[in-house]
Amino acid sequence: MVMVRAATGGERLVLQATGDFEGLTIKNGELTPGAWGEGFADRRHPHTYLHEFMLLAPDLLRDLAVPAHVSLGVGKGFVPFGTDDPMSRPTERFPVNHHLSQILERAVAMAGVTVGPARLEGAVFNGDEPQRPDQWPNLSRFGDSWSLRLTVEPVTGLEWEGSRALVRSPETRDAVGLDATKWSTALRWDRPLLGRPVYAMLEWAQSREGDAFTLATVLFETQVSAGRHHPYFRLERTDRPEDERTLDPYRDVRPIIENSVLGVTRWTIGTLGYAVDAGRTWRVSWKPFVEGSLIGIQSVGSGLFNPAVFYGTDRHWSVTTGIRLSWGMEDHRMGRYGRSEMTMPMDHQ
Amino acid sequence: MIRRLAPAALLFGLACHTADRIGPPAGGGSVTLAATVPITPNYGVHDTFIRNGIAIVCVWNSGVLIYDVGNGMKGGSPTNPVLVGSMIPSEDSVSAGPEIHNAWWFWNPTNGEKKYLFLGQEGPGKIGSSSSGDIHVIDVSDLTHPTEVGSFHLPDAGTHNFWMDEAHQVLYAAYYNGGTVSINVSGTLLGDTLADRLINQVVPDTAGTYTWGVQLYNGSLYAIDMLTGLWQLSADSAGHLAVAAGGHNVPARYSSDFSVDTTAGYIYSGTWDHLQRTGLSGSVVYVWHISGSGSPSKVDSILAPAVGAVSDVKVSPDGKLLMFTTETGTGSGFYFYSLSNPASPTLLEYYQTGKEGIHTCKWATINGRLYAFGAKNPSNPELIILDVTALDN
Repeated sequence: MVMVRAATGGERLVLQATGDFEGLTIKNGELTPGAWGEGFADRRHPHTYLHEFMLLAPDLLRDLAVPAHVSLGVGKGFVPFGTDDPMSRPTERFPVNHHLSQILERAVAMAGVTVGPARLEGAVFNGDEPQRPDQWPNLSRFGDSWSLRLTVEPVTGLEWEGSRALVRSPETRDAVGLDATKWSTALRWDRPLLGRPVYAMLEWAQSREGDAFTLATVLFETQVSAGRHHPYFRLERTDRPEDERTLDPYRDVRPIIENSVLGVTRWTIGTLGYAVDAGRTWRVSWKPFVEGSLIGIQSVGSGLFNPAVFYGTDRHWSVTTGIRLSWGMEDHRMGRYGRSEMTMPMDHQ
Repeated sequence: MIRRLAPAALLFGLACHTADRIGPPAGGGSVTLAATVPITPNYGVHDTFIRNGIAIVCVWNSGVLIYDVGNGMKGGSPTNPVLVGSMIPSEDSVSAGPEIHNAWWFWNPTNGEKKYLFLGQEGPGKIGSSSSGDIHVIDVSDLTHPTEVGSFHLPDAGTHNFWMDEAHQVLYAAYYNGGTVSINVSGTLLGDTLADRLINQVVPDTAGTYTWGVQLYNGSLYAIDMLTGLWQLSADSAGHLAVAAGGHNVPARYSSDFSVDTTAGYIYSGTWDHLQRTGLSGSVVYVWHISGSGSPSKVDSILAPAVGAVSDVKVSPDGKLLMFTTETGTGSGFYFYSLSNPASPTLLEYYQTGKEGIHTCKWATINGRLYAFGAKNPSNPELIILDVTALDN
């Protein structure tokens, strides 16, 4: 992933762009039990090559003596809904709730107003999700979906957000599928406690798919850093729709051929991890990590999908290890384009 | 970690089900493509009803398309279908649009009317437990201007495939978790409710029912249930139903469509499983013999490997051929079997259509030739018309 940020003098205009090469490096996804979306199951899907390309005016009223900030943005990127993208959070394993808690890779036009500690953002965008890494948003559907997000930061580092969105037929490019009515609320802490950097986030989100079924999630995660050491923990409970799979058990039938599902499963996952700042070579920082997850799956209501039959058990575990490499990274909170958030350093990146 | 994945399931399935005869893909060149009709991917085409050279094509949120495929009213033929009319029914209160799945054009022998077309709306649900969707009643007195005149709504359930006792003006409808429903469709249908017209509703197993399709034969209404298999229901001329026999007879996979060979007294039923019920790969067509009392008993099976589902099963009008279609996998397409021995069908030809497969199929005899109509799944959905006359000799 390559992020580029360019700005005119005084940051009147900012270009925020992210290239993502997962379509080349993990074209069949990354093994992640519980992950879903865009035709993948139990493998995190690769994002589109042009992940983000947003032209932003972060503070239109900067020359006026008014106690408000107004921002505008247009391009392809994150929709103002829900919480930060998991890629910029401590845990490497993508949460099951990614498609409930974020809306991304859309052609979007957004506006934001910040008054005091409160920020209200609204956007219109295309409802369809990408189906492969080289696919563009269906521009003929631009404006068929909308979102609102209110964020309040009463003290520095403590933040509450509440979001609402109507996403037209995200699962079908031709808009024949179910609409998703989405809610999200989250409480976020990101400031030192007792001299140690502490990050914590508690979120709840819900997506009602037509009148057919409702998917909900509750997620808590935290990281308490001590010098170069960064232990972290996440606990989530998330509902996942079970679609018809192809003969490849990691892939769902796409395009969909009807609007029913085989069932809904509830994934309860606890993940404990540890990362350490191993140093910096030239401008490349190294952060090895290891994390383990315990996973429980149960059916919600009835339906054909039985996790114990499909997987052979309804209890799993996974271990992930790797190294995060960062080079010249001006970290930002992925999925947020506000005046302050775009430049906020993220110690837990 | 995920412990068991497709390869293991595939090996396990093949090892444990040697009793199923495997239907190997084979091509004999006796099937020729008559025409394809591209369908707007909205989502595409689900099913077709053909009568008197008129093909009524159910195209999901685009409603119905009515083609002359040999009737002559617009000069159409199986090789040159000509659009006669179309309409998009109401959504009612069901999510995501009209979602038109199936149709039955009712020819009323008591008064000669060919006025009503019944459409099934396949709304969203959780397969195996919940469903939604209504029966829409369309006035097709003028095929060029079909008009919706009513609908039937069954609370907490959605409709699927139909069969009719036209002589007695009874519509039978599979209703997934609602079981099987019989509806009086005599007289004028104009804004009537199901409450006005409902004759009977039978849920064969209250512990779990998800009925896919029904067919009337020899005083019994046979019903195939995804969860509990093949049932025999007694059915009188007034449409009263009662469970007679069958059930809990397809334990290894979830069931799909079926068809009765009315000339020889056999039933052929498919499975729709996608590795779900016991992890077995492929799908199966079961052969059932109908006893003197009408009860079905399994006598043979055919395994269709490398597919997620047998999506439709149909016996030809003369009882000589069995056609079934498959979807989701490299073995998708049309399968044609000879019923010279109805207890043990033999493969005649496999017509491959791409891994997306065929959602439903229908037979039609038009101007002395036999055709197979198939609804090809997206992407690039289309109505496929095959000339299979050579197989029928």
